[in-house]
Amino acid sequence: MNPQFLIGPVSPLGSPAPFWFITFFKVLGFILHMIPMNIWYAGMVLVAIYATFGKNHSLELAHRLSRTMPVIVAVGVNLGIVPLLFTQVGYYQFYYPAGILMAHAWFSVIIILIFAYYGVYVYSLSVRKNKSTKFALASAWISSIAFIFIGFLFANNFSLMSNLNSWIHIFNKTNVGGAVLGTGLNTSDPTLIPRWLMMFGLAMTTTAVFIAFDAVFFKKRDTSEDYKRWAGKFALILYVIGLVWFAAFGSWYIFGAMDKSVIAEVTAHPLIYFLFGLTAVSPGFVLVTLFVQRKGLKKGGVILATVLQVVTLSLNAVSRQWVQNVEIFRYEDISKLPVNTQWSPMIVFLILFVIGLAVVGWMIAKIAAVEKQAANIS
Amino acid sequence: MHYPWWYVPNLTSPMLIALIATVHVFVSLYAVGGGIVLAGEVSYAYKVNNKSLLDYLKSHTLFFILLTVVFGAITGVGIWWTIGLASPLATESLIHIFVFGWAMEYVFFVLEIVSAFIFHYYWGRLDAGTHKTIGWIYAVAAYISLVLITGITAFQLDIGNWTPDKGMWVAFFNPQTFPQIIARSGASLLLASLYIYLHAAFKLKNDHQLRALVENRTSKWAMAGAALVTIGGAWWYFNIPPSAKAALAGASALNILSILVFAASAVVFFMLFFGPYRNPGWINPGFAILYFLLGIAATGTGEFIREGVRKPYIVYNYVTGNNVLVSEIPKLQSTGYLNGGTWTKAFMKAHYPQVFDTTGNIDDAKLLQLPEGDQVKVGQVLFQYHCNNCHSVGGFSGVAELTRGWSKDMIHTVVTHLAKAHFFMPPWCGTQAEAQMLTEYLASLSEPSPPGMRFGKAVNPALKQLADGTLREEGGK
Ligand code: HEC
Repeated sequence: MNPQFLIGPVSPLGSPAPFWFITFFKVLGFILHMIPMNIWYAGMVLVAIYATFGKNHSLELAHRLSRTMPVIVAVGVNLGIVPLLFTQVGYYQFYYPAGILMAHAWFSVIIILIFAYYGVYVYSLSVRKNKSTKFALASAWISSIAFIFIGFLFANNFSLMSNLNSWIHIFNKTNVGGAVLGTGLNTSDPTLIPRWLMMFGLAMTTTAVFIAFDAVFFKKRDTSEDYKRWAGKFALILYVIGLVWFAAFGSWYIFGAMDKSVIAEVTAHPLIYFLFGLTAVSPGFVLVTLFVQRKGLKKGGVILATVLQVVTLSLNAVSRQWVQNVEIFRYEDISKLPVNTQWSPMIVFLILFVIGLAVVGWMIAKIAAVEKQAANIS
Repeated sequence: MHYPWWYVPNLTSPMLIALIATVHVFVSLYAVGGGIVLAGEVSYAYKVNNKSLLDYLKSHTLFFILLTVVFGAITGVGIWWTIGLASPLATESLIHIFVFGWAMEYVFFVLEIVSAFIFHYYWGRLDAGTHKTIGWIYAVAAYISLVLITGITAFQLDIGNWTPDKGMWVAFFNPQTFPQIIARSGASLLLASLYIYLHAAFKLKNDHQLRALVENRTSKWAMAGAALVTIGGAWWYFNIPPSAKAALAGASALNILSILVFAASAVVFFMLFFGPYRNPGWINPGFAILYFLLGIAATGTGEFIREGVRKPYIVYNYVTGNNVLVSEIPKLQSTGYLNGGTWTKAFMKAHYPQVFDTTGNIDDAKLLQLPEGDQVKVGQVLFQYHCNNCHSVGGFSGVAELTRGWSKDMIHTVVTHLAKAHFFMPPWCGTQAEAQMLTEYLASLSEPSPPGMRFGKAVNPALKQLADGTLREEGGK
């Protein structure tokens, strides 16, 4: 079967925004989602491990992380809506079939996420109440494993989106009278495993920076200098491990698993060397920043590391988008689909977006003032 | 058609949407109404400086957050997930029309999340004025998100003056939007009150005085909510398109359900008036649970009806239940349903290449030359893509049951006159040859008439055989 046959028709309504706009918000949304997502993805594993085996500082780390975790998950899940929305509007011909072919697994994300999220709360509340129970500990473990499994399902769906040969394979294997059972997964795709595991490395690096950030900026009153020193060192070590992990699976992905024709097409554009080069070296800057502070974290240094890490994540997101577009354009150049821009709703959205940011800013300023006051009193 | 169809045996995949949407609405309405009530009550408590009321409201806020921010938010995302899986074409269309509506909604979600957490975690640390303001930011953001999402679901029931060349605003301000906003605003306040009764009945079990205060104050919100539900519901009913009105009148299940909703709402209203409003303090956990379940039943049924009367459309006059655009139907009827669908065509090409003509299209004459067994199999493909949205085989609304005892002719007549048999089915969207295949398939499933039923004079088989002399013969064999 020719994979082209499986691409559904273009929407007669026309795209409500130009392709660049959709891609921009998809990538921006993904970056914003990735920051908190990374923190719970690797962070919950640390929480589970140190809540079980940790002593002193490492146990304190588990407690500190788990206290902020409910908020991080809530914000991250919310921020995930944006890239998903723009994926659906720009890449619908690819996104929906991929989801449907693995419908059961994709549907289960919701169920698993509910359990994972309540697990985060159970452990977090137990820490807040200073009552650690076996149940709470088990919840932390279940959540951390559930998040990683959800990551696996996401890697499946998003790799399946641009692998139409897999569609044929799954369609042939799992249909009843031409309707799919939704029991497929993209496991025949060699990029699946490295794509899935790569993210965990990146997540470790982001979590490392967050640990430094947390030590310096959150709950100053009860942070001992000792913990802060330990956190600086720990962040550096975790960053190195994450980076090595990321580099290992990233190389497997690019050199061992990616389709040669995709590589050829990606590298046909001269700009890509620049982009990939920057993407590759950017974590190095964060690493240096953390290394310099290995004997003691400084506010300015941590802010710099945070900004550089966000840049790293952004470069990553842009590179991913580039590759995804190349993969999809092999089948159809969706950037050239008819556009029927909805100007006034777009403008209203942008205005509300700015107002929303301002209101969030105002609220955060209010709590920052409260925190500052509390710090000054103590 | 445009997308692969997800086959869920016995249940049908759209039932999963109904499932998630119903559990979501119980919590999402509370997320809105509860936000408004909490902001209002916290403002009141600060004004009269009632410390114990504030303490109670704080504990309620944690309950509220645990339910709305986790379960409410994730099941909300879950609806998206599911509609994309089970109604992909309608979802694609809605997202094209309303992408910026959803994007705006998302801005308000973020505001909700941030304000809810600050409202809770900084309770007692922010000054009263700021704390109140943050409560109201939550309430307003949540309310706007209700308004936005209601415009979209209202559009599904009646597109009003919208045509594909018109943008989002025309779609949003359809005849259904305002009545539904009123009804849902009411439902949100009413449901939030029931959650508060439930929580207070347990939490304040031993604090009779405070509980009486909470009940009395909450009952005002609840009665305002009940009034809005009634006004919005009536307005809604007078505004629904004729097909929906006919569906309400015609489908006995919907009919009974809508009476149930009104009955449940009325009972709740009376219970509110004579209960917490006139005699605050007497709600015990048992009553609170009863109230709550009644509220849940009324809300769930209301939403079920709202979904049910939309048939045969998913988006009124735009996308039908079998996931095709209304505008494509004439073409499908002349050149074939299998031929018009991306996935059906790919399937046919892989399995029955012999039915394609030289231009690469399916030829009806060749289709009819397939051996009988294959015709049944092709009929199954048609069933999956044309009927499985609403019918399973032997489970939910199963065709094997619906056609019990039918002759092939009867089946064929219904297949070719679907929309005439029941206006809440789409018209037959394929060719005559395809109708033939589907008939073969349905006939292969159709259950026989139940044995042992008789009409007219009783006939004892043994006597009958005795009478025509066949008994001894058979017995001798
Ligand atoms: C939009 C939803 C929808 C679609 C699509 C749909 N139906 Fe129906 N159909 C219904 C409903 C609702 C009923 C009433 C069911 C009941 O009474 O339980 C019904 C009833 C029937 C009945 C019983 C009719 C009678 O007079 O008792 C048959 C047979 C039937 N459908 C066959 C089909 C076939 C075949 C298809 C596909 C070609 C189909 N339907 C597509 C919604 C649908």
